[in-house]
Amino acid sequence: MVATISSEFRKFFTTRLWWGMAIGTFVAAAAFAGLFGALASRTGLGDPAQGGIPPMSDHQIAVNVYSSGVSVGYLLTLAIGVLTIGSEYRHKTMTSTFLATPRRVTVMWAKVISLLGIGGLYGVVFIIGSVAVGATVLSVRGMPAFAGAGSIVRTLVLILLVLGLWALIGLGAGILIPNQVAALLIAIGVAWIVEPIAGALLSTQSWGAGVAQFLPSRATTAVLQSYNGGGEAEQLSWWAGALVLAAYAALMAGIGSALTVRRDIS
Amino acid sequence: MTIAETDRPVAASREGRRIEITGLTKRFGSFVAVDDLSFSVAPGRITGFLGPNGAGKTTTLRMLLGLVQSTKGTATIGGERYADLPRPLQTVGAALEATNFHPGRTGRDHLRVLAASAGIGDARVDELLELVGIPAVARKRAGGYSMGMRQRLGLAAALLGNPDVLILDEPANGLDPEGIRWLRGFLRHLSAEGKTILVSSHMLQEVEQTVDDVVIIANGRLVRQGSIAELHGDPKAMVRTTDADALARALAAGGLSARALDGQRLEVVGDDLTRIGDLALEARLPIHELRADETDLEALFFALTDSPENRNRNLEGGAADHPAAETPEEGVMR
Ligand SMILES: Nc1ncnc2c1ncn2[C@@H]1O[C@H](COP(=O)(O)OP(=O)(O)O)[C@@H](O)[C@H]1O
Ligand SMILES: [Mg+2]
Repeated sequence: MVATISSEFRKFFTTRLWWGMAIGTFVAAAAFAGLFGALASRTGLGDPAQGGIPPMSDHQIAVNVYSSGVSVGYLLTLAIGVLTIGSEYRHKTMTSTFLATPRRVTVMWAKVISLLGIGGLYGVVFIIGSVAVGATVLSVRGMPAFAGAGSIVRTLVLILLVLGLWALIGLGAGILIPNQVAALLIAIGVAWIVEPIAGALLSTQSWGAGVAQFLPSRATTAVLQSYNGGGEAEQLSWWAGALVLAAYAALMAGIGSALTVRRDIS
Repeated sequence: MTIAETDRPVAASREGRRIEITGLTKRFGSFVAVDDLSFSVAPGRITGFLGPNGAGKTTTLRMLLGLVQSTKGTATIGGERYADLPRPLQTVGAALEATNFHPGRTGRDHLRVLAASAGIGDARVDELLELVGIPAVARKRAGGYSMGMRQRLGLAAALLGNPDVLILDEPANGLDPEGIRWLRGFLRHLSAEGKTILVSSHMLQEVEQTVDDVVIIANGRLVRQGSIAELHGDPKAMVRTTDADALARALAAGGLSARALDGQRLEVVGDDLTRIGDLALEARLPIHELRADETDLEALFFALTDSPENRNRNLEGGAADHPAAETPEEGVMR
């Protein structure tokens, strides 16, 4: 198992994908933190009930600035998850992978574990980008960058978890849709466009808000306890959000793995 | 440098592993790609696995390696299924398609990825790249490799764990004549180390000079199994003279069995041309032609695999005995 995991890490770091994605993650984290840092204000902006930003404490501002790019960050780790398995099908390296480790369940676990690690690694890149730029911008504007430091650290650690879990969701999507390009388009399309729209539509219904909080993007905001854009919309506690994300990941990767164990590799 | 340098367990002290294929069948929908196939591969020998394109060679090998699930039947290596081998890469080396590389990863890194999962170090990787003759190219991305380089990289991958059993699917495909000659020498070298080699090909002449045994299949069914010598049959000689019957009698008197083909030509069992010539001289019969009659293996292969019941189902629209209802894109190898 350890050997298979190390093989998975080696697989990931021997193509150009990893640093392209690392640059993307860093830039997204830095850009969003810079933007939110520049716009953040204690007094809020407009009417929260109409989609404006409510007044925030210094601590809330810092948390929101540092995690503002997460919705782009998780799209990137989602893509990484898809590509981890998708490129094996596309380039038919699945054959050598399963020849080296014929117990396919072992391969799948190795992918899951290495992806959690890789997601976490991208989390570190993300945090470096967002904190460096966000804290600088806040400081320049004379606002405290680390109000409530302990809880900020907690948020940053949770970012690692969130990015890792999204990578697993991607892995599941990549296994379920064996065509890499289709899997990538569908996964990103759903996570980026379809799911937020569904969330917005659901929130307009009286019964929908309770359901909407279980959508992956809402669960993600719940984990980070950051501003959710919906005024007083219902939100899960952070651990419930993490469990919901983990459940998505487990479901997708579980079904996908079960299929892969039986699938003919040719 | 030889392959034997790395911790090769003394092969002689160990029973070689026999490959056993028993009643192996694979259906893709209603299409029977491999049909109740049984054969075995003796340890320590090179066995050619032959058949025209689409005969089911790759499918059989993929079932043997646990990549494709068989519909029926079993395939074992040393009595074990591939998936049950405790150290697969150290036991069986396989090179299947020549295109199994990520184009953005270097050949060397491809091997290092495999090596990692079997706990093999980088030194062994470099040793093999040296051995197959692509040490420099292997540091470039595999996307730009020629077919020949891919084949060599595939061989290196198969040899990573220094296995005793090698399974090679069409390793000569895409090699130039020089490459094929190199491959022949390479396989003989490996065989001399006691390895069991199963090598598939759709061309008998590619492997004819290399293999000890052959297994010939057509349309997923076994057509012939035996040693290459058996396939050649008994040596024969061909003689042309003025009176074939008279010469046949003279040869028979000398202890040679001969058969007149027509008035002038006869076929003699055995390849002692000197003795045939001497006996003809004693009988005062002129010899117009005298030669050892090599069995034309290529013609035999063609005859075996192209007899009416074995005619390639992939070439005609719906062969008689195969309602090839949904044979997908024939000829286009995946
Ligand atoms: N995954 C598949 N689905 C449907 N048919 C297949 C599949 N794989 C192989 N075949 C068919 O099975 C037959 C045998 O193929 P293959 O084993 O590749 O032959 P060979 O290696 O001897 O050329 C071919 O007719 C091929 O089209
Ligand atoms: Mg083939």
